[in-house]
Amino acid sequence: MNKKNNVAICLKNITKQYIVHHEKPTLMEKLVKRHEEQFVALHNINLTINKGEKIGIIGPNGSGKTTLLKLIAGICTPTSGTIETHGKIVSLIDLDAGFHPDLTGEQNVYLSGILLGMTKKEVEDRYNKIVTFAHIEQFMDVPLYTYSKGMKLRLGFSVAIHTNPDILIMDEDMTVGDKDFQIQTYKIMKHYLNSKKTLIVATHWIGYLQKNCQKIVMIKNGEIHRVGGREVLSMYEPHPFLN
Amino acid sequence: MRMQKISRHDIELLTVMTIKELRARYKYTIFGFFWLVANPLIQMLVIGFIFTFILKEPVKYYYFHLFIGLLIWNFFSISLNKTTPSIVWERAMIKKAKFSRIILPLSIILSNLFHFILAFLILMIPVSFLGTFSLIRIFPLLLGFILLISFTIGLCLLTTALNVRYRDINFFTQALLVIWFYATPIIYSFSLIPKRLLWLWRLNPMTSILQLFHYSLLDAPPPGPAMLTSNITVIIIVTGLGLYIFNKESKNFDDWV
Repeated sequence: MNKKNNVAICLKNITKQYIVHHEKPTLMEKLVKRHEEQFVALHNINLTINKGEKIGIIGPNGSGKTTLLKLIAGICTPTSGTIETHGKIVSLIDLDAGFHPDLTGEQNVYLSGILLGMTKKEVEDRYNKIVTFAHIEQFMDVPLYTYSKGMKLRLGFSVAIHTNPDILIMDEDMTVGDKDFQIQTYKIMKHYLNSKKTLIVATHWIGYLQKNCQKIVMIKNGEIHRVGGREVLSMYEPHPFLN
Repeated sequence: MRMQKISRHDIELLTVMTIKELRARYKYTIFGFFWLVANPLIQMLVIGFIFTFILKEPVKYYYFHLFIGLLIWNFFSISLNKTTPSIVWERAMIKKAKFSRIILPLSIILSNLFHFILAFLILMIPVSFLGTFSLIRIFPLLLGFILLISFTIGLCLLTTALNVRYRDINFFTQALLVIWFYATPIIYSFSLIPKRLLWLWRLNPMTSILQLFHYSLLDAPPPGPAMLTSNITVIIIVTGLGLYIFNKESKNFDDWV
């Protein structure tokens, strides 16, 4: 395998700028106020992630972690620079987003699965697995508004994980559901960690990264502060409660 | 600029999203599809009752004239009203995954189109008894459909994209629709428009569209070549602009919602 084929994600000179708006943006405001307030969320980021790597992203709140993950997932586009990605990407953010409260659980599985990039056929094939994993078999034909928050999150997690992505992106929340579901999640994540797939995790949970990631990227004020092995973690002030 | 290719996956997503729109609207109520015809029917009866007193010259098949106009208008105005804020409302979806953003407004328009065509087919039953419709009129009818759909998609994409960055666009379109209703020959017929003001209707693409439908179904006079040319020009410009702006803006929707 040559070097090029081994690359999962390649970011070159990525800069992401936002225009700050303090209230709802309107045309009136644009006409009255000429200047625009800019905010640089990421500045000149260069990062290459190889296939199969397990990457941890750390940094204080507002440092640009989520923006970086969104750029990689293709949810937003950089102001300048190029992003190359190889393989199917799924991000585990807003697990219950995209569900419609008036549709049944089954209809929502199809809607959400296809939204996340599965084909209809793939959803059909994996439907039973998705439902069994989420452990809500008897509620699949009732509208989603009757579900509890936990049930929705479990279903969202289950759909996302069954898209079978090559690159999995996780932003903070890895603690969905009760103890039984946590054990299930742990198992599937373990399977994931041992596979050839690429994983990118942004979290403050140092212990998790210590155990599971080989490469750590530390972001500060929109720039890559350090890249390296687990030793980078020791430079980061640990979370007082998650260890 | 390169337009994104439409993949098979996009079609599948568009299909489930359209079905979602249809299901969510009626929530399986038995009378769901009844309202689809009842609504314009009630509008027709009320307006028809009042305007037969006001209109000086009677319009031939006035209730039919009105019903056809209202069906078309409802499709157009409901689409515009529902798509314009759609990206902001569905911000959770925008923030969750990468997908062709155009699917959001298109699924709303498609679900409305489904209703429109169903109600239209029901309308065809009494129309066929009038004896004004013949098979050759299918061509102007088809042209009317194509222009209506193209204009609706183009304008909706434009307002949907702009509303993400300028949230007052939504209020603007709502106000515009109220005026536009009266600027379109729905409750009156085209022949009532004074000659010196005709240029105003030339700027309104809905004029030709309604004339084409009225011509095909009720044997009303067809749109003139000047009207047709100017209206089609506006439609092409709006559709092109809508596609261009939406394609350009959709990359940054996430920044604004």
